[in-house]
Amino acid sequence: MRRAIKRLLGLGLLLTVISMVTFAAMNILGDPLFNILGPIAGDVDNPESVKIIEEAKEQYYLDKSLPERYARWAGDFVTGDFGVRFSATGQPPVTDLIKERFPRTLQLMIMAQLIAVGLAIPWAVTAASRANSKTDKTSTVTAFAFVSLPNFALAVILFYVFSIRLDWLPDVYTATDPFWGFTHNHRLIQNLLPALTLGLGGAAAYQRLLRTDLITTLQEDFILMARSKGVSRRKVLYKHALRPSLFSLITVLAINISYMIGGALVVETFFRIPGLGTAVVEAVLREDFPVVLAIVMIVATAFMVFNYLADLLYGVIDPRVRTNEKESTPIFRSLWKSQTNLEAEEKINDETVEVSS
Amino acid sequence: MTTHEEEIDYAPLLGSDDALAIGLAPKKKLGLGFWISAFWVVLITLLAVLAPILPIKDPSENYVVTEKAENLRGDLVEKPVQPPYSLSGKHLLGTDKDARDMLSRTIFGARISLAVGFITAILGLAIGGALGMLAGYFKGWLDKIISAFFLVSLSFPGLILAILVVSLLDRSLWTISITIGMLAIAPVGRLARAQTITFAEREFVIAAETLGAKRSRIILREMLPNVLIPMATLSMLVVAIAIVAEGALAFLGLSVQQTATWGKLILTGSDMNSLENAPWIAFGPIIFLFFTVAALNYMSDRLRDYFDVREIYDLSD
Repeated sequence: MRRAIKRLLGLGLLLTVISMVTFAAMNILGDPLFNILGPIAGDVDNPESVKIIEEAKEQYYLDKSLPERYARWAGDFVTGDFGVRFSATGQPPVTDLIKERFPRTLQLMIMAQLIAVGLAIPWAVTAASRANSKTDKTSTVTAFAFVSLPNFALAVILFYVFSIRLDWLPDVYTATDPFWGFTHNHRLIQNLLPALTLGLGGAAAYQRLLRTDLITTLQEDFILMARSKGVSRRKVLYKHALRPSLFSLITVLAINISYMIGGALVVETFFRIPGLGTAVVEAVLREDFPVVLAIVMIVATAFMVFNYLADLLYGVIDPRVRTNEKESTPIFRSLWKSQTNLEAEEKINDETVEVSS
Repeated sequence: MTTHEEEIDYAPLLGSDDALAIGLAPKKKLGLGFWISAFWVVLITLLAVLAPILPIKDPSENYVVTEKAENLRGDLVEKPVQPPYSLSGKHLLGTDKDARDMLSRTIFGARISLAVGFITAILGLAIGGALGMLAGYFKGWLDKIISAFFLVSLSFPGLILAILVVSLLDRSLWTISITIGMLAIAPVGRLARAQTITFAEREFVIAAETLGAKRSRIILREMLPNVLIPMATLSMLVVAIAIVAEGALAFLGLSVQQTATWGKLILTGSDMNSLENAPWIAFGPIIFLFFTVAALNYMSDRLRDYFDVREIYDLSD
C-alpha cells in the first residue's frame, strides 16, 4: 500500500513539473499581452493605450512575477478553476469551455475503444484458431496495413468511401444535437466515422497482440484437455482460451488511450468536431495559453492515470506467472477469485513486496 | 572484442524447447518482404535527394491544357480547360487544381517529409542513445536525473507539445524536425538505458574493466556496438513515426511553410470538393506515405525479430 501512495505522489510531482514547464514556456516564448489586447499592446507612446495596457496587466495579473503567477494559477487549478481566457473579453472562462467540449471528446474516445476492442477480439480469435493458414496470413497483412496507415490518411479514405461515394454517413458535422438517435443529426451517427478512424488503427494493434497471446495459450495442456472432454471448439476459443489471453491486451488498452487522445486532435480537426482536440488547436493558433495549459494538464493527467492503472495491472499480471507457478500463482489466481479474496491476497502481496524491496 | 558472441556448443540443444528459447532454432532470415521494403525506402530516398536533377516535371509549373472552343461570337479560339486533370500518360498521378503535376509534387514533397524523418531519428539516436547509455552505465544520481527527464518527456502529450512549440517559434524545417526529435529522445533513451544495464553485467565488459580499460573506451568500444543494434531497429520506427507526426502537424496547418510535404498535399486534396471531383490529389500522396511508413515499420519489425530485441514494457521507474 505504501508503494501505491509513493507512486501517486510521484505522479503529482510529475504533473507539477509538466505544468511548470508548459506555463514557463508559454509565458517566455509567447506574448500574453499581445493576445489579449491585440496591436494596442505595442503602442507604449500613447498615454491612452498605456492606461489600457496597465489595466489589462492588472486584470490578468501580468504585472506580477512569473513564479507568483504560476502559484496563483496552480492554486486555482487545484480547486477546479482553470482561469480566464487570454482573449479580448476573456469569456467564456476556461472551465466552461472545457465542460462544453470534454463530453464530445469522451464520447468519441469511448466509441473508438468499443469499436477497437469489438473488432479485435473476434478478429484475433479467428486468426489464432487457424494460425498460419491463409486466413491468418491475410489478416496479419491487413492488420499490419492498418497499423501503418496514419490517422489522417485513414480519415480521408473513410470519408471518401462512406460519406462521398456511398453517401451513407453525413459529411457535415454539427455535434450540437443529442447523442442518442439514428438520424444524421445525432452525434452517435456523426461520430461513427471519426470513431472508426481511431478504432480501426486500435483494432489492428490489439489484434496483433491478442493473436500472439492466443496462439501461446492454445498450446497449453488445458486447451487440449477441454477439447478432449468434448467442449465445443467455439466454447474453447471464447471461454477457455480468451480469458487468460486478455491480460496483456488490457495493459495495452490503457496505454493506447493516451495515443488515441493524440489521434483525436487530428481526427476532430478533420471532421470538425468541436471537442477538446479542436479546442487545443484553436487555442494554440490564437496563443490562448490558459486553454492550452488546461488541456495539456487534462491529457497528461489522463495519460498518467491510465499508465498507472496499466502498471498496477501489469504488476498483477506478471508474465512470469505462466512459467514460475510456485511464487506467483496466488497473484495470478486473485484475478479470478471473488473481491474479498482478492483484497485479502492483495494484503499478502503488499507485504511480500515490502519485504523484498 | 567489439560484438558479443558466446561460444557455446549448441548441437545438443537443437530441436529442443531450449533451442527455441535462446533463439537458435530455425535459422532466421530477414525474408523477401524486408528486401522489398528496403528497396522502396532506398528508391524513395534517392528520388527525393535527386529530385532537382531528375528529368521530372517542375512541381510548381502550371501545365494548363487548352482546347479549341467557340467563344460568344462563334469563332474558334484556344481556351484553357479547367483543371484538375485526371490521371493520364502526361500526368501519371494527375494534376491539382492549379494544373501542377502531382507525381513531381509528391516526389518533391518526399524531400521534406523524409528530411524530417531522418533528422528526427538522428537526433533521437544521438541524444537519446548517449543519455540512455550514460544513465545505464553510471547509474546513481545521473541515472535518476536522466530517467526523471525521460519520464516527464514521455508523460507529455507529444502532439500538443509539438503544435505548441511550432506555433510559438516558427515553421521551418529545422524547428519542426528538432521538436519531433526531442519527442524521440525519451523512447530511444529508455531502450539504450535498458540495454546498457543488461550489457554492463556481461563478462566481456567486466573483463575490460578488470583489464583497466578507461570508462570512455568501455562505453564506446564495448557497449556502443551492442546497444547500437537494438537502437537501429527502433530508429526505423522513429523515422516512420516522425513522418506521420509531420503529416499530422500539416493537417493541423502547422507544418513547414511554403514547400509542400506529403501531409500538406493530402490536406489540400481532402476538402469535399476535391475528394468528390478529383480524389487523385489526395490519394497519390496517401499511397506514397502509406508505402513508406509500412516499409519502415516492416523493416523495423523484421530486424527486431532477427536480432531478438525485446520490447520493454517497463513503465515503473
